[in-house]
Amino acid sequence: MKNLINRLRGVEQDAVQKPVAGQEPFYVAQGNEIELFEAAYRKRLPVMLKGPTGCGKTRFVEYMAYRLTRPLVSVACHEDLTSSDLVGRYLLEGDETVWYDGPLTRAVKEGAICYLDEIVEARTDTTVVIHPLTDHRRVLPLEKKSQMIEAHEDFMLVISYNPGYQTVLKDLKPSTKQRFIALQFDYPSEAIERQIVAKESGGLDAEIVDKLVAAGRKARALKDHGLEEATSTRALTYAGTLIQAGVDPIEACRAAMIHPLTDDPELVEAIEEIVRAHFGTADE
Amino acid sequence: MNDAEALVEIQEILQHLEQISFVAQRDAREALPALEPLGAQPTLRWLEAARDLFFHDREAGKVFMRASPAVVEKTGEVDFWVEQARGFSKWVNSWGALEGFMSQVGDVAAEWGREAEQRWYDIGLRWCDRHLEDAAHYFRASFRELGDERGIEGIEDLIAPAEKLFDERGLTLDAYLEGAVIARNIVGVAGIESWARRGADIMQAGRSRGEEYFKLESEESLRLLLDGMPGYRPRRHSRFLQLLTTAWFGHLVPLADGDWRPGRGRPMMDTDGHTLYLPAVLEGREEAIVAVLHTMGHLRFDSYFLDHIEALFGELGMEHPPVDADQRITWRPLYAHFEERMFRFQVLFDLCEDLRVDARLDTLIPGYLRRLVRLADAHPQPEGPAGVFYRYALAQYEALALGRGFDARLQPLLNESATVVDAFRVARGLFDEAEFPEIGIDARDDAYLPGHGHNTGRPVYPRRRWEDEVYVNDYDVHADNKAVAEKQKEEQPQTTQEMRQVDPDPDINVPQENTSGSGGRIGVGIPMPAQVVGRGAAVHELTEGYPYPEWDYREQRYIHEWARVQERRLEEMEPERAEMIRADHAGALKRLRRALEMQRPSRMAPLRRQLEGDELDMEAAVGFVAEKKAGLSPKPFIYRHRTRQHRDTAVLLLADMSTSIMASHAGGQGKLVDHLRAGLMMFAEAINDVGDPNAICGFASKNHDNVNYYVLKDFDETMSPDVRARIAAVSGRLASRMGAAIRHSIERFNGVSAHHRLLLLLTDGRPADYDDGGDTRYLHEDTRMAMKEAVDRGIHPFCVTLDPSGSEYLPAIFGPGHYTVIDQAADLPARLPEIYLRLRR
Repeated sequence: MKNLINRLRGVEQDAVQKPVAGQEPFYVAQGNEIELFEAAYRKRLPVMLKGPTGCGKTRFVEYMAYRLTRPLVSVACHEDLTSSDLVGRYLLEGDETVWYDGPLTRAVKEGAICYLDEIVEARTDTTVVIHPLTDHRRVLPLEKKSQMIEAHEDFMLVISYNPGYQTVLKDLKPSTKQRFIALQFDYPSEAIERQIVAKESGGLDAEIVDKLVAAGRKARALKDHGLEEATSTRALTYAGTLIQAGVDPIEACRAAMIHPLTDDPELVEAIEEIVRAHFGTADE
Repeated sequence: MNDAEALVEIQEILQHLEQISFVAQRDAREALPALEPLGAQPTLRWLEAARDLFFHDREAGKVFMRASPAVVEKTGEVDFWVEQARGFSKWVNSWGALEGFMSQVGDVAAEWGREAEQRWYDIGLRWCDRHLEDAAHYFRASFRELGDERGIEGIEDLIAPAEKLFDERGLTLDAYLEGAVIARNIVGVAGIESWARRGADIMQAGRSRGEEYFKLESEESLRLLLDGMPGYRPRRHSRFLQLLTTAWFGHLVPLADGDWRPGRGRPMMDTDGHTLYLPAVLEGREEAIVAVLHTMGHLRFDSYFLDHIEALFGELGMEHPPVDADQRITWRPLYAHFEERMFRFQVLFDLCEDLRVDARLDTLIPGYLRRLVRLADAHPQPEGPAGVFYRYALAQYEALALGRGFDARLQPLLNESATVVDAFRVARGLFDEAEFPEIGIDARDDAYLPGHGHNTGRPVYPRRRWEDEVYVNDYDVHADNKAVAEKQKEEQPQTTQEMRQVDPDPDINVPQENTSGSGGRIGVGIPMPAQVVGRGAAVHELTEGYPYPEWDYREQRYIHEWARVQERRLEEMEPERAEMIRADHAGALKRLRRALEMQRPSRMAPLRRQLEGDELDMEAAVGFVAEKKAGLSPKPFIYRHRTRQHRDTAVLLLADMSTSIMASHAGGQGKLVDHLRAGLMMFAEAINDVGDPNAICGFASKNHDNVNYYVLKDFDETMSPDVRARIAAVSGRLASRMGAAIRHSIERFNGVSAHHRLLLLLTDGRPADYDDGGDTRYLHEDTRMAMKEAVDRGIHPFCVTLDPSGSEYLPAIFGPGHYTVIDQAADLPARLPEIYLRLRR
């Protein structure tokens, strides 16, 4: 009941939420990443998730947080994200200046898993604040308050990092990278991808799922031939969702898989060609 | 006059002739027996005409008399053509035209009738007025060919553009005619004029080049013709097709132009084992896609696997011939075994192998077979023996797609382990069946389904199994195309005389069309270079350079890859002059620098007293708190905010380096080029100080395929003595084809990350080139289109001209407000940086 009301009105929630039992995020393991992550968690080692966009990194963290019953604090990093956005800042409230903890500080204090998504996007000064958190010290210096916060014993830092994704100019410094356990992700195998698309699209017909996944995997071959990003599993689930919602499969693929990816007319033509081969003209 | 008098008159004329010329009299007498049956009076009229022509021009008289009997025989009358022949006496030396006329008038009249003949004659006579040589050429050219099954209308349509172009451009008929007949077959009557106009333009720029154009010997004219052909141009879609191969097969296979030309049978795609060769044109997109997928299928399913090819020869108890100088192999010698029925076998073998490959391909590409069947259904079915093969193949594919009714004899092909050897065996089985008719070379090509072609179109590089092939997956299409082109260039001259002689089996070197061409020399053929010499019609000799389209306003369309830009460095350096220029303008430069200080793009500067920001502006905060305590209600502008002030502009200055800049300025201020150099120098210094990414380039052109593009300073180059020396060495040369240079500049902006992109065009006159045919509007319109393209690409074009009359034409090209005229050339050095700074604000 409460959930229903929440859904209707849009809820203000605290950023740090413990996972709710029974709301397990859907995740299919591609390999031994779950075991590795759990091991890293036991030893409180920071983890770096590498892999292309839309292959399930974020979902994996959500899933692991649920599994480990730790609250998850996700921060999507962007170009203008500064260290004070992570750590906290003084704001004025009435007559006083008041310190507000940033998401990272909250996570450090409350023993959450802090997930910094696409960390390379953030300004370089942000990567520096996480350094002391990632080694044996496990402390967060609050420069402006002249404080050091020792991390809660359950605190864990996870970052994601998408190599090759516009990282010509921005790359993580090696000194940052080597502080992490790295888990390499890729698009799941065909069988797993089918499972994912079927589940996420809400029970799409198996035959269509097969076609969709097959088309997506063919389109993936065009990466680096003008396509900056390959067709992601996420795009496939979107397409699947659209088809499930009654959209024509070719239209759905165009909307979810082709046009978000490229403006290059020849590429569009090529991917459409692939989609058509799978879906189109079956009974012409 | 009665007949008797006429006969007397005839004798008198003959005597008269005899007194003057024995030959004339003899020729007349020889012709008379043919004419006499028509009666005395017509004969007299003929003889009078002959005499008059002879007196006017001895040669004319003689050709008239000699040709007359044949004409009489065909027409059965005299008067109309005699009267017409008299018409030639209007000119001196018109006997050449008359000879042509006489040789054909009989046939024209007999086949097309009198009225059409008159029109045919009128056209020729008009040409006599223009140029007698042309008229002779016209009358000698076969009227049937000129008419092209449309009779006199065909001729009139063909000649009309030539008449127009003769008046406008002085294009002669003798250059025009031969090529125009072929061109008409390709582009139709409607396309002839634009094709010829372009030729006339080229002819004006250079005679020999123009003649080549009209003889269709030069690549430019063939390409232009192909441009107008209906159908799908695989070459233009090569990236798309390549992407398809990448997607379906996971490997990027280079594509290159095949050697098909108009009039050479059916265009087909083929491969040499690592490159796909695309014909210049295919029927449609579907066919092109199927062709690419199918040809890739041969590579994917190991049609050219070396062991299998060896096994093929083993089947016939033959040794496979040694590989050629390029390590390539062909199974063509296999066909020799079938002697004069080789084409029948070839078709069957290809059919079986294609079926094998296509069946496998369908498992890889969903719907491939259905697609092929659809395409083949829509394709017009050939007649005769080819039709039998075609329908058989189609039926098998339909059966495959449906999953029933497949010919049991072909069943082994569907085996997953089937190879080209199985296809060979099955084909030998079919070869013995009587249901397949004999088929010759002429019908052979028609027997293939759309998208399919000879599997031994050319010698192939023997392959390993697909799985074992090593592919470099990561190269870009353009680099690769270029590499292929270069490789082919290298490959051309490799076949030497010695090699041919020591080659034990000449057959290996036989290119496709040569073995198949002559029935008498089956399986042997003339030893010929293995290389395809003479590249496909879509290829051009000048493959260097960057191709760009050009806009033709007369046809309202782009001419594909018409202009070619050759990028090069300016060789000359003038360091001393550079120093002089800098010294001369030292004062101005200093002033400029000071002005520029104000415009330098600011670095990360903290903005103080902001409503929001990264950190507290302590001073403001303290003030705020203090005011607050004092009972005021201050606004909380208490943050510091670091931000970059964006004035992010990249500029490319494109200078017109045509000959005209060497001239003295109309205003009498010395040579334009001196001001230009100083202007470029000041500009370069100024921009360098500002720190904006910038490039300085120049262009000069000679004809459409040779637009030189000089990079004086590139975007990533820093200002250096070398750059200065190059700027100081700028001099005028050739003409200015602006459109191509602008298009190239647009491309150069790629990879420059700046918010605003400015293309500054510095010129001293209208766009013009050697081969623009004096049609100023042509390059104007092209430049205007290039400008539009720039705008579409997010580049702001702006033109600075030194031409005082620039305002007359620049608004039309650049649009009002997008140009400025500097009529005092001496102002250029000061104005140019100023204009830029004003623009970037």
